[in-house]
Amino acid sequence: MSTTTASSTRSFAILTDVTLCIGCEECVAACKKANKTGDDDAPWKWQGGAAELSSTRWTTIARTQGRYVRVQCRHCLDPACAAACPVGALYATESGAVAYDADICMGCRYCLVACPFRMTRYEWDSPMPRVRKCILCYDALTSGELDQPACTSACPTKATIFGEREALLAEARRRIEAAPDKYVNHIWGEHEVGGTSVLYISDVELTAAGWPEQLPGHAVPELATTVLSTVPATFLTVGAGMAGVHWVIRRRDKLAAEASAAAPPDPDHTDDEVSS
Amino acid sequence: MTPAQNPRLIVTKAVLWFLVGVAAVVAVVRFARGLGVTTALTDATPWGMWVGFDVMGGVALAAGGFVVAATVYIFRRERYHAIVRPAILTAFLGYLAVIIGLMIDIGRPWNIWRPMFHWNLHSPLFEVAMCVMLYTTVLALEFAPVVLERFSWAVPIIRFLRRVTLPLVILGIALSTLHQSSLGTLFLLSGARMHPLWFSPLLPVHFLVSAVGLGLGMVTVESLVTSWLYRRQPEWDLLRGLTRAATVVLSVYFVVRLGDLAWRGELGRAFDGSWFAVLFWIEMGMSTLAPVALFLRARKGDGHWAITWGSFLMTAGFVLHRADVGGISHIAVTGQVYVPAPTEVAVSLGIVSGLGLIFLFFVENLKVWEEPPPAVDHFTPAAMDPVSSQYIGSPWLGEGQRAALAVICGVVVGIALVEAQVESRRRSAARPIHPPRSAAVEVTPRADGKGHVFEVVSPTVPAAMTEAVAGGGLLQDAILIDSGGEGRLVLFPHAAHQRRLGGEASCTACHHRNVPLDRATSCSHCHRDMYRWTDTFDHARHVVALDQSLSCRVCHRDRNAARTRAESRACASCHQATPPHLTRVRTTREAEPGLAPGYEKAMHGLCLGCHREEEKGVAVADRSLSRCTTCHRDEFASDAEMRQRPPFTVVAATSPEPEGAVGGGVRGAAGTTGGSP
Repeated sequence: MSTTTASSTRSFAILTDVTLCIGCEECVAACKKANKTGDDDAPWKWQGGAAELSSTRWTTIARTQGRYVRVQCRHCLDPACAAACPVGALYATESGAVAYDADICMGCRYCLVACPFRMTRYEWDSPMPRVRKCILCYDALTSGELDQPACTSACPTKATIFGEREALLAEARRRIEAAPDKYVNHIWGEHEVGGTSVLYISDVELTAAGWPEQLPGHAVPELATTVLSTVPATFLTVGAGMAGVHWVIRRRDKLAAEASAAAPPDPDHTDDEVSS
Repeated sequence: MTPAQNPRLIVTKAVLWFLVGVAAVVAVVRFARGLGVTTALTDATPWGMWVGFDVMGGVALAAGGFVVAATVYIFRRERYHAIVRPAILTAFLGYLAVIIGLMIDIGRPWNIWRPMFHWNLHSPLFEVAMCVMLYTTVLALEFAPVVLERFSWAVPIIRFLRRVTLPLVILGIALSTLHQSSLGTLFLLSGARMHPLWFSPLLPVHFLVSAVGLGLGMVTVESLVTSWLYRRQPEWDLLRGLTRAATVVLSVYFVVRLGDLAWRGELGRAFDGSWFAVLFWIEMGMSTLAPVALFLRARKGDGHWAITWGSFLMTAGFVLHRADVGGISHIAVTGQVYVPAPTEVAVSLGIVSGLGLIFLFFVENLKVWEEPPPAVDHFTPAAMDPVSSQYIGSPWLGEGQRAALAVICGVVVGIALVEAQVESRRRSAARPIHPPRSAAVEVTPRADGKGHVFEVVSPTVPAAMTEAVAGGGLLQDAILIDSGGEGRLVLFPHAAHQRRLGGEASCTACHHRNVPLDRATSCSHCHRDMYRWTDTFDHARHVVALDQSLSCRVCHRDRNAARTRAESRACASCHQATPPHLTRVRTTREAEPGLAPGYEKAMHGLCLGCHREEEKGVAVADRSLSRCTTCHRDEFASDAEMRQRPPFTVVAATSPEPEGAVGGGVRGAAGTTGGSP
């Protein structure tokens, strides 16, 4: 497993142009078909609205401010979910996709807690539940079954396109420069949480559509990684410190015992804890 | 006073056994049916009471172990030796609670061993998992002599364990330091969903310092509770010493928390009057301010009440801190409120109760305390004396019988609880559909010859008409389907479809089941909810219609089979107005006739099945027929908008199908509505 995809030149991505999306949900249908996710209609409370992201719906269309905004896993370059997973069942791949191996997953759901975009979903109705989210059609792409994710190939207006991340960033910049009055001068996903592989450009702010304002500008796992790197040192320091303290106190007690054996008992030397 | 005469103990144990029984039922159902129906968890609140209380609380409970071990073995305060064994036992049981809680909580518990071999060194949870495993082992070794000293053969083992006590204690302290702080590290990854009053880069430090305080509090609480239970005098002197240490730790904690807030510039939020500010001060008051005040008072007089209240408040306050960090503070960002389901509470209480029973068992049978409680009662249950024909013996139930009775009661309550919980987790809000309405459309051929343009002329005229209008167009009847129940209309050119499928005779192609005396019952008659299944079969009515008493076997033909839907005769074998070979509808649940799927699923199934077939053979204008946009043309169109907007550009194929094409060459045409016998 590797977590160093950020610098990889062959890192793939999806660019969604909100201004082109007509909300037809072809991508949703294609995703469901390609990933065999099943129907959305089971009558359980945890499933929320049928049009919301769920374990059977890995991408969906959010309707805000009169726009259609596609919602899916952001495939962070340094993903919090992969850092959270204690066994590496969720892992960042060289291609930019954050993929999932259900066989080693423990089902701890820490990935759901960690995801800054809250895009991971869980099979709550199953006794053998899996984590469900967009995997950028990783399996089908690596096996050569597909040449691009099912969703992007299904899009009738080319509102969501697939390609190398650098090329898509250039394309996004080109579109913004070509129509600066139309677009907000921002590529969502370029820098947020250290960069994501799912990029958006839009003519409205996407704060209400899956890009919350309080997202950190750095990769989410950085802080925890820093703390975890001090673990061996902490362990040794505490261990050695405790051994040292014990040695000092025992020696002090021993000297005190010898002193009290040699001399008559000294009333001032009694342990203050005991006397109180 | 023996336990037999101590009603306090009898009642407490009965309650504990009862709770174990309830939890056992819930646990079984949880493994059989999954977390969804046994918990209140959702994707937005993926961790609940089992993580927040059993895992976080269990680890916190264990804090007493390393604090007391350090006091006695490292700092050599020998007078606290009396509470080492109870503290170690409590810690060990706390870790058992963690492991049992995790086994029930994680979705795929058969993979719980994976962290031993699949290391993700970047994961705080990996550190937690390793600490749990290692420290549980250390605690077991620390406690082992207490169990082994009952056996003569174990003397060499005990001698060895005593020799390595100090290294074990140091290892335990180092592991605890890591583990207590790693629970704080866990939430460094979820800063994007936490309130700033709780999220801090210093979370590991918060957790470590509070764990020391919590450990001191837990040892005190545990001593007070068991003393009350066995009617013995708590070691007030020792407890007062512990509270003195706690005062220092709590003060440090208070300074760290507020200093951290000030340093990050978030101190203002503690005074902004919001709910979270209030919660913050409740937590700080319970965990720090009130206990310190009480402990300072206890320093003077005998102050037993102050020690008692202070310890309980402090323990509850730090448990609240864990709950705040683990979930409550997330509400500020996610807006999702999680309230534990009764079944979750039952499991949490059951785990604690089971471990409480183990604690009491060890206390009664091993030398956990310097002065063990009096021997356990051994009842002779009442029995019939064969000579005198009278009942002899105690009228009371023996200990085992009491436990069994309590567990059985618990199981009964547990079953009821689970049933109620499963029912409550079904989506309660039905989404009734808005039945489609008729409309008149004007159909004109497209300029390029590829298909037709359908323009809604009147959204309200109900008519079955096909007549020419000026300009070369045709006026046809159509229906407007409210596809999502929210005013986003789909135009269905009914007449055009009817003509393509074979005219008047083709109703059954789509209208696959009819109520009696009706030729073409509309879809919405049976598919009555947007997403839920509708039961369209009226059993009582069939019983009446089929000659009352002897009617069962008309449908339930097989005497040996269960009289269920699945085993009964197919509807279509009597209702022959829906000839199976004429319909294009394929049902998805043929085993359960009479169940109509949700409207959305039914309509997609009906339309897409044909459209997918059609697009293969027929030249279509500019898009394939099975695309979403073929039907979902304009999602914002409401009745009012529809009149003002440009015409629908619904496109149909130009080349008309030959007459009688229905059923021919269409995959699944023989698929039936009920499966013919």
